[in-house]
Amino acid sequence: MSNNDLVTIAPQSVRLFHQSLFKTLVYFFLLILVLAGAYKAFPLVVDALFLIVIAAILTAVFNPVVDRLESSGLRRIYGTLLMFGGVFGLVALGVVKGIPTLLTEISRIKDVIQQNAATESLDAIMGNLNTRIAEYIPGFQLDLDLISSLSSQFFSQLGSVLAGALDTLATIIFILIITMFFLVDGKRMTKQLIGMVPNKYFEMSLNIIYKTKKQLTNFLRGQLLAALGVAIQSFIGLTLLNWIFDTNISGVLLISTIAGMANMIPFVGPFMGMVPAIIVSLFNNLGDPVAASHFYYILHIVGMFLIVQMIDNNIISPIVVSGSMEMHPLTVILLILVGSQMGVLGMFLAVPAWGISKVVIQEVYQGLKGHHLI
Amino acid sequence: MKDILNTSYPLFESFKNKLKPKRSQAQMALSQVNVFSRLSWQEIKIVENAIHIRNYAPGEPVFKQGDPGSGMYIIMEGCVGIFLDIPQQAPKQLSKLGDGDFFGEIALLDASPRTAAATALENSTIIGFYRPDLMDILKTKPALGGKILLALSEVLAVRLRSTNGELVKVSRKLETALESGTNE
Repeated sequence: MSNNDLVTIAPQSVRLFHQSLFKTLVYFFLLILVLAGAYKAFPLVVDALFLIVIAAILTAVFNPVVDRLESSGLRRIYGTLLMFGGVFGLVALGVVKGIPTLLTEISRIKDVIQQNAATESLDAIMGNLNTRIAEYIPGFQLDLDLISSLSSQFFSQLGSVLAGALDTLATIIFILIITMFFLVDGKRMTKQLIGMVPNKYFEMSLNIIYKTKKQLTNFLRGQLLAALGVAIQSFIGLTLLNWIFDTNISGVLLISTIAGMANMIPFVGPFMGMVPAIIVSLFNNLGDPVAASHFYYILHIVGMFLIVQMIDNNIISPIVVSGSMEMHPLTVILLILVGSQMGVLGMFLAVPAWGISKVVIQEVYQGLKGHHLI
Repeated sequence: MKDILNTSYPLFESFKNKLKPKRSQAQMALSQVNVFSRLSWQEIKIVENAIHIRNYAPGEPVFKQGDPGSGMYIIMEGCVGIFLDIPQQAPKQLSKLGDGDFFGEIALLDASPRTAAATALENSTIIGFYRPDLMDILKTKPALGGKILLALSEVLAVRLRSTNGELVKVSRKLETALESGTNE
């Protein structure tokens, strides 16, 4: 190699180094721009994803109904509109009839808790209850302040959740519109999305999507049916208590609905459903000596909810809920603790969300294993 | 009069051509397959909405031996080889399929593992019709799903009859061989 060659090679390598350095810097700059954009857009993306996930869950719930209507010869779009018409009708009826009663009931109970006079009567009730309890369990005392603050918290949280739901009516409408699109065009969307999957993973992805969708639909349908079962039984039970023992429990429909919805949370849910009934019975019967002699019907209510739970656990749930919800009690407690960081809604959604994720993970793992990819 | 009838009128021909329904390549390919051959064009159009059109490069596997069966494939364009994997040997090519040929239709009914592998031998465009798609049709268009299932059962019946025939032939051959063996 001559000196001349060395001279020509050296500037070339320097040029190449500069080029690669320039490229690296440009890529680095672009990466920073992308990351900054993603950071800025992150809340928006999370919001959009949340709406899409809720719409997807609603689609999984409503899809069997639309499929059934389509199989009877109705075009899918008309089936979807018909179903939405029915759902809107029911929701409108619920809002018109239920919400005013609910808000009045909540504010009434909140007022009773906050008023000093009521607290004084409560003191008397608690004293009476503690004396009676001490006859059976010596040393056990119910703390009025704790119960009062818990009740107040429960109702103010419930009120804020409902008020929030009313405030975000636009979001609800938006979710329903997305759900409608998913119901009408969901199959085409899924087909286009899955069309992007490489050939190697195509069959497996198709199977995973199909099985997950099926499991998810079964799971959600089971949960909703079980919730409906508990709500109906609670309604019958509370009406019977009012009728037979004159327990004076108002807002039976609302309490039954809460009990049904809370039932979706295993272990803790049934107790959450019981609480509003006990509180309402306690406040509605203040100063009634007959009610006081019956512990304000607390035992009646607990007994009724235990019977509802027995029927649900032994008859309804085994029939309608698929086995995908089987979880260790410790897992449930941990999930509810994690969910509680996001408020009442978080507690409510934590267990079903984990149940759905479990189904998806199981299906993906089995799919990968079946196709010898892991 | 005959002349008038036989004369072609350009305006009329163009109008006739416009009215003639246009069939896509996928619809034509589907109508050639015995599973869909008895369906009306309207029904084939519904099946077309459910199918997946995939492109494969030469040497790319469509599925591997032992994979869980998910559905059938119809070759729109190209060539696919069916191979049998034999341990510690090179895969044995069982057949070579071309345009309009189809394979794997039994997997629509049964998820048992694929008994052979299918690999594209050249750039191929293949229609995939899978069990989830069939299930979906059965759920939303039960009459059409029933027709497809009936056609699939006919395919199975023909195969079973032919397998029975082969079995009889083989057992006869075996009997003859055994008899000649005893006589010797």
